[in-house]
Amino acid sequence: MLSVKGLRAKVGEKEILKGLDLEVGRGEVHAIMGPNGSGKSTFAHVLSGREGYTVTGGSVTFEGRDLLDLTPEERAHLGLFLAFQYPVELPGVNNTYFLKAALNAIRSARGQPELDAVAFLRLMKERLKVLHLDDSLLKRPVNFGFSGGEKKRNEIFQMALLEPKLAILDETDSGLDIDALRIVADGVNALRSPERSVILVTHYQRLLDYIEPDFVHVLAHGRIIRSGGKELALELEEKGYGWLGEEAA
Amino acid sequence: MTAALDKGLLPWLTAAPTADTVPSGWLEAQRAQARARVDTQGIPGNKAENWRYTSLTRLLAQGFVPTAESLTAVQREDLEDLLIPGLESYRVLMVNGRFMPGLSDLHDLPVGVRIAGLAALLKSDPDALQGRLNGVIGDAQPLFAALNTAGLDDGLVVLLERGARLERPIELIHLSVGMDEPRVAQPRHLIVLGDGAQANLIERYLSPGDSLYCTNAVVEITLGRDALLTHQRIQAESARAFHLSGLYLRLGTASRYQGLNVGLGASWARTDLCVRFAGEHAECDLQGLYLAGDGQLMDFHLDVDHQLPQCTSRENFKGILYGKGRAVFDGLVRVARDAQKTDAAMTNRNLLLCEGAEVDTKPQLQINADDVKCSHGTTVGQIDPEQLFYLRSRGISAARARRLLCLGFAGEILDALVPEALREQVTEQVGRVLEQAPLD
Repeated sequence: MLSVKGLRAKVGEKEILKGLDLEVGRGEVHAIMGPNGSGKSTFAHVLSGREGYTVTGGSVTFEGRDLLDLTPEERAHLGLFLAFQYPVELPGVNNTYFLKAALNAIRSARGQPELDAVAFLRLMKERLKVLHLDDSLLKRPVNFGFSGGEKKRNEIFQMALLEPKLAILDETDSGLDIDALRIVADGVNALRSPERSVILVTHYQRLLDYIEPDFVHVLAHGRIIRSGGKELALELEEKGYGWLGEEAA
Repeated sequence: MTAALDKGLLPWLTAAPTADTVPSGWLEAQRAQARARVDTQGIPGNKAENWRYTSLTRLLAQGFVPTAESLTAVQREDLEDLLIPGLESYRVLMVNGRFMPGLSDLHDLPVGVRIAGLAALLKSDPDALQGRLNGVIGDAQPLFAALNTAGLDDGLVVLLERGARLERPIELIHLSVGMDEPRVAQPRHLIVLGDGAQANLIERYLSPGDSLYCTNAVVEITLGRDALLTHQRIQAESARAFHLSGLYLRLGTASRYQGLNVGLGASWARTDLCVRFAGEHAECDLQGLYLAGDGQLMDFHLDVDHQLPQCTSRENFKGILYGKGRAVFDGLVRVARDAQKTDAAMTNRNLLLCEGAEVDTKPQLQINADDVKCSHGTTVGQIDPEQLFYLRSRGISAARARRLLCLGFAGEILDALVPEALREQVTEQVGRVLEQAPLD
C-alpha cells in the first residue's frame, strides 16, 4: 500500500533523507528506529505533507497514487494519518467540533454521507469505549491545557475515529510514563486490523514491548541501513546503535 | 461655525424634539450648551489625537439628516427573523432611533424596575431624568456626544432601584430601516442601577437590508454601590451603514461592570468607551471582538480613568482583519497619583489574514501612582502554520481550517456571552461572516 523509493528530502539547505526505501503492505506494522537526528521525524513529516521540507528525489506511492503530489488534506482523505510527536494546541477550537469537522471532511471526500450530530455522538461514544477513554477530553479545546498523556491519547482517539489505512505514529511514546504508554499501546492494538497498516517511529525499544511489530528498520543518516523482524529491536536495545558500525553512529 | 460642520453635520443639530415632548428648561439648557460645544470644537482633523487613524471625510460626505418622524410601517411579524431563538428577555424595540412601545415586550417587570422610552419619560416624568441625563458625560462632551445631546429626543431609560434584580436580560433591539434619503438616528440611552441592583443589558444594532444610514448612539450608565451590570453590545449594522457609539460609565463603590462589545457590521464604525470610577473596590471588565473586511473600518477607543484607589480594570480586545479591512484600537488607561493599588491589564490581539488588511493598535498606560499593578500587551499576527497543518492533516481543507482557527481565536471573547442563546446566535453570526470572508 505504501512504496517509498530512493526518497531524498532537504530542510533548508541540509539534506536529511538520502535515498530512503521502504515497502509497507496491508495490515503490516513496521517500526522505524534510529538515533536522534537520523531523519525519523522528517520521514514522518514528508509523508504527511508538512511544509518546510523539499523533496529532491525519489518517489512515494500510496494506494497507487503519487503521495508527494497531494495536499495534506488529500493525503488524509486517502487514508493517511499522522499521530504527532507534539500534538498542536488549538485554543478556542472545541475538540468535539474539530473531530466532527475532520470526520465529515474525510467522509465527504470519500463519497460517504456526512454524519449528523446524533450519529456522530454515537460513533464517538463507541470508539471511546473501545479505547477505554472517558469523554472529559471532548468538551475541552483541542489539546489545550492537556497533559502529555492526554495529548497522545487524543491522537489515538482521532485515529480510532478517522479509521486510516496507514497510521504513522511519530515518537508517540516520548514523554509518556509507563501507564500512559500502556493506554496508548492498548489503543493502537485495538485498532490493528488486516486492513490497517502502522508505521511506528521510535527511538526506544520500550514501545515495541507493547505494540509488536512485524518488521523493524534502522534508519541512520537518512537511509534504512538494516531491516529485520522484531528480534532486531531487541538487539538494538541490548547493544545500542553502535554495533551497526560507522553508518549508524 | 466651521464650513465643514456646516456642510456635513449642521442638520444633526437642528433635530427638533418630537412635537409631543414638552421641553424642560434644564434639558433646553443642556441642548444649548451642547450646541455651543459643537461650535467651539468644530470637526476634528487627522491632527486631533483621537481621530489620527480615522477620517471623518466619508461620513461627512453622506449628508445624513435626522430621522423626522416615527416609522410605523414595521409590524410584529417583521421582527421574527430578528429575534434570538430561546432568548427570554424584556424586549425594547427601537426603529430608526424611536422607541416603539407597541413592538416592545415589557410585561411583568418586577417592583423597583422602570424601563421606558426616553421621549415618553421626558413628557410624563422629566424629574426622574433631571440630574441623570448628561450626568455621567458632564459638560465637556466630545463632538459626537455633543451632537447627540443637541439632537437627542428618544432612547431607552432603565432605572433600577436599590436592590432590584432582573432575572431576564433587557434586550434593546435598535433596528434601522432604510429611508429615501440617508438618515441619522441619535438615540440616547440612560441606565441607572441603584445600590446592589443587578441586570444584564443586551444592545443589538441591526438592519434588515443593506441601506445607507448612520447611528450616533450615546449610552450613559451609573452603577450604585455593589451594583452589577452585564452589558453586551452587538453591532451588526448594514454593510453600508455608519455607526458611532459612545459609552459613558460611572462605577460606584465595589460595583462591577462586565462589558462586551462585538463589532461585525457597518462600513465605518467608531466606538468610544469611557470609564470613571466614583468609588473604591470597583471592577470594570471590557472585552471586545471585531471583524473587518473589504471597505470596512472598526475603530475602538477606550479611556479608562482610575482616579480612585483599589479599583480593577481589564481591557481585552481581539480583532480579525481580512480583505482590505481596517481596524483601530486606541486604549488608554490612566492612573491618578492617589489611585494606589490600582490593578489594570490591557491586551489587544489581532489576526491579519490578508496582506491588504491593516490595524493600528495603540495601548497606553499613563501611571502617576507608584503602588499599582498595570500591564499592557498587543499582538498582530497571522494564523499559526503549525495549527493550520494539524487541521489539514486531519482532512480539513485549508480554507475551512483557517475559519476554524479564526473562530477559535474569537471564542475566548464569544464564550463570555450570556445567556447561552445569545452566545450561540452571535457565534453563528461570526461564523457566517467568516464563511463569506475571502480567507483562501
